[in-house]
Amino acid sequence: MDDLQNKTFVVTRFDPDRDAAPRTQSYEIPCRSDWKVLDALNHIKDEIDATLSHRWSCRMAVCGSCGMNVNGEPKLTCKAALAGYGDVVEVAPLANFPIVRDLVVDMEGFMEKFQAVKPWIIEAKARAVEEGPHRQSPEQLEAFRQFSMCINCMLCYAACPVVAREPHFLGPAAIALGHRYNMDSRDEGARERNAIFRGEGTVFSCSYANECTEVCPKNVDPAAAVNQAKLNAVIDWATSLVLPRRGEE
Amino acid sequence: MGLSHPDAMRPPRPAPTRAAPPTLPDGFWTRPRMRRYLLFDATGIVYLLVGLVTLRVAWALAAGPEAWQGLQASFRHPLYLAFHALTLASVLFVGVRFFGLFPKAQPARLGPLKPPPEPAIQAMLYVAWGVVTVALLVVLGGVWP
Amino acid sequence: MKHLLLRLEPIIWLLFGAGILVGTLLLPGYLLTVTLAGPLGILPADALSYDRAYAIAASPLGRLVLLGLIALPLWKGAHHLRSLWIDLVGASSEAAVATLLYLVALVGSVLGLLAVVGL
Repeated sequence: MDDLQNKTFVVTRFDPDRDAAPRTQSYEIPCRSDWKVLDALNHIKDEIDATLSHRWSCRMAVCGSCGMNVNGEPKLTCKAALAGYGDVVEVAPLANFPIVRDLVVDMEGFMEKFQAVKPWIIEAKARAVEEGPHRQSPEQLEAFRQFSMCINCMLCYAACPVVAREPHFLGPAAIALGHRYNMDSRDEGARERNAIFRGEGTVFSCSYANECTEVCPKNVDPAAAVNQAKLNAVIDWATSLVLPRRGEE
Repeated sequence: MGLSHPDAMRPPRPAPTRAAPPTLPDGFWTRPRMRRYLLFDATGIVYLLVGLVTLRVAWALAAGPEAWQGLQASFRHPLYLAFHALTLASVLFVGVRFFGLFPKAQPARLGPLKPPPEPAIQAMLYVAWGVVTVALLVVLGGVWP
Repeated sequence: MKHLLLRLEPIIWLLFGAGILVGTLLLPGYLLTVTLAGPLGILPADALSYDRAYAIAASPLGRLVLLGLIALPLWKGAHHLRSLWIDLVGASSEAAVATLLYLVALVGSVLGLLAVVGL
């Protein structure tokens, strides 16, 4: 039989119609030993307080919906086991994001940075059907495969000290994704993206704190991507000085 | 909860409902991993100062023997010794952290060039560190020439 | 100011990278001898005599190493202090602080170059 243990969850609550500012509310509930934080939140919502709002979906760390700050650290709540915490667990919305309600944050700022890096294959000329599919060796795939594993959970944005300080910074996931396309042998858009990487959201704002990589649940290693992107951006900048592109001064 | 920059992750258009400003957890800047990172940045003051002190070394060499003796005398002062010892400790701390982070920051390919595997890069960095240090110890320590 | 800094970021980053990599490689050997063992009297008597020290410093490689020991740590220091300022204080005032720090590094580097060339 599983032993139930009481734990107290200190959960951030915020209702814009009622609250001037976010507050916390404590719930003491019996927890199964194999629960994740998400199970506890769902129990609270289902059995105790139906007004609690939180995002979740797949329950298995692939959709990226359930990111929150648990005891101050960004976690996927479907992956964070209660066994790793004591009797009191603080659950807060993801750091560095505006709070819409309770544990739900506004993702639109992230979507804007995401789109800004042009995360799609850019080709100078559309490939004709007769040419057949692109061919890519395992080695070419390895150059970017790790960075394609991002599930857009935004934990890295909650961990990054530069995101906390510089609103324009593109951020770990967006830069990693742009870098993923720059390193893709099928893509021809590196110059465009490197110009974006040297623009207002500059990759050079990254101070290599490595926090993003520490919290990433899918081993994307965004810090590696961002710092590789810096070197690529510098080389692109240097070559642009020597060889101006068509249409530039 | 502390606050991030008020515009952190701001949506491009105003949201339909009033949002609370972005937050930072209480321990954000003080947890151990973040402290190590801040210490890493803080070694900047030591590096800045040692660059300026070494400028003084170059000036003393250019000025002549009396200036050089004077410089060596001031380097014997406990404050200078403490500063240089602190600098050495900082450089070791920076080296270990940076050499750990450097290999993965090399892109998988730069045109036709491919970097060696990450463990090899790290080994090469430490070997270079050892070789350069020994060479400087030998030359500046009076062994050769 | 912010716009100028943004345009200069690639070269600043390169100087910082050289500073942290080459500077860190060079510093321990120099610190252990010239600034610690030497003043503490552990080295042979004439290891850092003026004539010997000058001869080493004025050699082509010596000038290069001495310049590296002056200029490179300055760029690493300036860049990291800028980052520390942003972390601890915030980004609103960082352009002025960054400019000041990089000016110190630039002036120090130029003075170092002049000193090394004038040996």
